[in-house]
Amino acid sequence: MLKTPIYLAYGLLLIGLSGWANYRGWSFARVNEIRSVPKTVRDNPGSYRSPYLGYHRYTGGK
Amino acid sequence: MGSPAQVKTLSCPNCGGGVELRGYARTLNVVCINCLSVLDASTPELKVLQTFQSKERVRPLIPLGKRGKLRGDKWEAIGFQVREIVVDGTPYSWHEYLLFNPYKGYRYLTQYDGHWNFVTTLRSLPEPATSRGRPAVRWMGETYKHFQEATATTVYVMGEFPWQVRVGETAKVSDYVSPPRMISSETTDGEVTWSLGEYTPGEEIWKAFELPGKPPPPQGVYANQPSPHGEKVKAAWKTWLFLNVLLFTVMLLVSLFTRGELVFDRSYLYSSAAQGEASFVTEPFELKGRISNVELAVKTDLRNESAYFNFALINEATGQAYDFGREVSYYFGRDSDGSWSEGRPQETVIIPSVPPGRYYLRVEPEMEPQGATLGFQDRRVNYRIQIRRDVPNHAFFWIAALLLLAPPVFTTLRSVGFESKRWKESDYSGGSGDAED
Repeated sequence: MLKTPIYLAYGLLLIGLSGWANYRGWSFARVNEIRSVPKTVRDNPGSYRSPYLGYHRYTGGK
Repeated sequence: MGSPAQVKTLSCPNCGGGVELRGYARTLNVVCINCLSVLDASTPELKVLQTFQSKERVRPLIPLGKRGKLRGDKWEAIGFQVREIVVDGTPYSWHEYLLFNPYKGYRYLTQYDGHWNFVTTLRSLPEPATSRGRPAVRWMGETYKHFQEATATTVYVMGEFPWQVRVGETAKVSDYVSPPRMISSETTDGEVTWSLGEYTPGEEIWKAFELPGKPPPPQGVYANQPSPHGEKVKAAWKTWLFLNVLLFTVMLLVSLFTRGELVFDRSYLYSSAAQGEASFVTEPFELKGRISNVELAVKTDLRNESAYFNFALINEATGQAYDFGREVSYYFGRDSDGSWSEGRPQETVIIPSVPPGRYYLRVEPEMEPQGATLGFQDRRVNYRIQIRRDVPNHAFFWIAALLLLAPPVFTTLRSVGFESKRWKESDYSGGSGDAED
C-alpha cells in the first residue's frame, strides 16, 4: 500500500467522505426545500401548493 | 584493467593502415578500420580473409578501445558488428558490441532503437518447455516465452573478434523473453550458442563508458523491456483490496450505529370517488438527535395501477418544509414473451440533512380517473406511510466502491497496453494472449 500513496490517500478520502455523508444524512433524493410554510396549512392542507403538482405524469403499464 | 590498455599495432596488408589488437591471443579475426578488410589475427602477417565494401561507414556509439565499468567489472569495447533480420520484406538491424576483460572473458552489448542489453554466453543449457501452448525454455527455474525466430545476417564488422567473423554470414536466431531478461539461441552449421541478455538502460551504458551527451531515446517497447506498470498493477490491486475491506467495515459500522428510529407509522385509504379535499396533514412527530436524514416509505396495495403522492415534511415551529412527490406504479401480466412486471407497489425517499424538531407531514394522494368518457369509476388505494429517522444510506458506499475501482483498472489497462505493444513485435502479433502478463 505504501507503493501507491496517492491511491491510498484517494481511497481513504472517498471512504471518509462516504462515512461523513452518512453521518450528516446526505442524500441524492430530489427534494425541494421551502423556507416558510404558513401555519394555516396545518388547518387547511388544501391551501398548500406543492411545486411538484402538475409535474408528474402517469406512465401506465407495459 | 586498471593499467592503460595494452595495444599491439600491426599494418593492414590490404591498405597499409594501422590495425590495433587488444584481445591478446584470443583474437582470431580483426577488421581493419580503414578498409574494412577482415584479417586473420592468428598469423603474424595478418592474412586478408575478406574484403567488403560498405555503402556507408557505421559509427559505433561506443568507440572501439573505450573502457568502462559495467555491473562491477571493467570492460573494453574491442569489436562491433551490425546484424540484420528481414521480416515481411522489411530489414531490421541492430548493433552488437564485443566487450573484453582479460579475467572475465567476453560479453556483448546489443542496441536496437535505443534499447540496450548486456549479454553473457550461457554455460548451462536451457530446457525446452511450453507456456500456454507456445514454445518456451526454462533456465534457472524461470520460464522464457518464445518471442521471435529469424535469420540474422552480419552486414558490418569492425574491430577484433574471438571467432571467424565474416560479412554476409548468417545464423538462425531465436529469442525467448522473461522481462527484464531474454535468452537467445544462435544456430550456425549445427552449432547452437545460448546467451542471456539483461535489459540495461542506455543511461547506465553512458555513465559506465563516460560517453558524451545522452543515449538515444528508446523507441517503442522492446522484447525484454521491463514493464513500468507490472509492479504498479499488483500494488494497486493490493491497495484496492485493503480499501474495500475498510470501506465495508465502515459501511457495517454505519449500519450498526445509525438509529433507524421509526417515528411515524400510519395506514390510509384513498378513494378517487371521495368528495372534498384529498390532501391532509398528519399528527406531529418528533425528529430527535443531530442533523440527519429521514426516510419516508410509502407501501401500497396497487395492482396494475399507479398513484401519485405529494409529500411535504413541515417543521411545526419554523415552517421549513421538505417538499417532494413520488409516483408509485405496479403493473404485471403475461404475454407472448412470458410473464412481465413493471414498477413496484412501494417507494422510498431519503430526505437529506433534516434538523431535529417537531414535524408533521402533508400528504396529497392522486389517482387519475379511469375511462372518463365511459363513466366515472372509483379508484382506491390502501397505503401505509412509515417515517424513520437516521437511516444508513448505502448509495455513497456503492459509489465509493465504484470510484475505488478506477485507479487499479486504469493501471491494469496501461499494463495490458504495454504488453500488447511488446508482443506486437513478436511472431505472435496476431493474438494478444500474452498481453495480460
